[in-house]
Amino acid sequence: MAFDVRLRINDKVATIELKGELDASTAGEFHETVGKAAGAGAVELVIRAEQLGYLSSAGLRSLVFARQKMGDGVRIAVVGASEPVARTIRLAGFDHSIDLVDA
Amino acid sequence: MAQTKVLILDERRDVPPGLAKALDAVGAETHTCTPGDVLAASPGRMPAVTALLAHATLSPHTVRSVARRLADEGQQPTVVAYADRDLHLLDGHVRAGSDYLIPPFHPVLVEARLRDCHQHAELNRNMEEVAAHAELLSYERELEIGREIQLGFLPDALPSPDDWHIRVRFRPARTVAGDFYDVFELVNRRRLALVVADVCDKGVGAALFMALIRSLLRHTAEQSGLQNLIAADLMGEEPGWAEHTRAIPVVGATPLLNAVVGTNSYLTRNHIKQGYFATMFFGVLDPVTGNLVYINGGHNPPVLVSGSGAPPVLLQPTGPAVGVMPDCTFSLGYAQISPGDTLFIYTDGVTEARSETGRFFGEDLLLEQLTDAAGRGEELLDHMDGALSEFVGQAEQSDDITMMAVHWRAPAKTAD
Repeated sequence: MAFDVRLRINDKVATIELKGELDASTAGEFHETVGKAAGAGAVELVIRAEQLGYLSSAGLRSLVFARQKMGDGVRIAVVGASEPVARTIRLAGFDHSIDLVDA
Repeated sequence: MAQTKVLILDERRDVPPGLAKALDAVGAETHTCTPGDVLAASPGRMPAVTALLAHATLSPHTVRSVARRLADEGQQPTVVAYADRDLHLLDGHVRAGSDYLIPPFHPVLVEARLRDCHQHAELNRNMEEVAAHAELLSYERELEIGREIQLGFLPDALPSPDDWHIRVRFRPARTVAGDFYDVFELVNRRRLALVVADVCDKGVGAALFMALIRSLLRHTAEQSGLQNLIAADLMGEEPGWAEHTRAIPVVGATPLLNAVVGTNSYLTRNHIKQGYFATMFFGVLDPVTGNLVYINGGHNPPVLVSGSGAPPVLLQPTGPAVGVMPDCTFSLGYAQISPGDTLFIYTDGVTEARSETGRFFGEDLLLEQLTDAAGRGEELLDHMDGALSEFVGQAEQSDDITMMAVHWRAPAKTAD
């Protein structure tokens, strides 16, 4: 599945929908979208990951950037991640700074 | 000579009949445009030409803009100004470096001028190719130097305590790598540090952080080793046989904790903005007892493969990846390696290796292959290598691959 990232902002809640694989070749695009969400003053970032097939270490790194860019006060949730994606996030211990929901 | 392709530039798309006839006579392919046509053309729409014939009534500035626009498309036509009457209009063009054509437009003379243009354009193109190639070569050479320097951050040789077999496979996906491994002696050679780590992402950035993280880990561990030995002695412990009976090895735990916690706080203090982190397994082994104390910082769980047929044991994370969270806790994990056992430590390049159809090698297949493998040291790595390349087939290796096998040879009588 080709990578696709979509951003919606509703009532200061930014929702980014990810499809395909988040890796070194696609992290830049995701990163830009997070920048837009932060620029719009979102107070919560919801990452819909139901259709995300793979998260590489470069993808994990882009979650670190998301955390930094949004600021500490912003809740970041990854929703509906598949078992391998959730496992990658948990393994690195990132489930402490990012909420894994319905994973 | 290949067919000459000519772009004639004129505000009225008008070509003097004598010139048109001469061009036709020498078999040149001509296109006639206004400067506006060229400047407004979308990329890739302009024909490739070797000569740009500009009417002398155009300003040299306009002609230069058109030439620059063609250069953006990778074309280097020679500019030739022509006039049919007012020869003084050529002055500005000739001063600006253009060639010129004046009537009568005799075919042999026009052909000779176009041949010069063609050769000139060819030469320019060759020069550009040579320059681009030279630039590429110099990048490649720099990368190659980077690779050699990076190899210096890996151990020259692996220590081999009695009855232990330690072997490594290290295969970067690119010239430089984010993976690394290290094996070194600690606490007056009574302990062995075993490190396998993976800096996130790949390429040059990961390679630079690899050098930093490896140095911080090793330096800190080596520096705190001696203090720890002294501390143990002051506590009245007799190093050596007393530890055989102790379930939890303490010697070696201090350098281990100092190294990982110190590296984490250094990275989060100084480099947090860059967003690089490493997952790592850092174990400290007592080769005499087989006691292993370790920190697994967000790394793929190493597998302890039993020599006696017991199910494999996974050494799960005891803390997060190193370098992102400033005040996190790293706990110590403990494991007991027995004679005949093998500890297999690897990076995600193994489990995330992909087949031609995009499937991942995965942990299940890894465990299956590890338990199936007959050999334990080098042979185990050979077996895993074989399993991996069979799985991957013709697909390209996308991530660094590191595998370390730490095997304690069973005593000769049980091996027989």
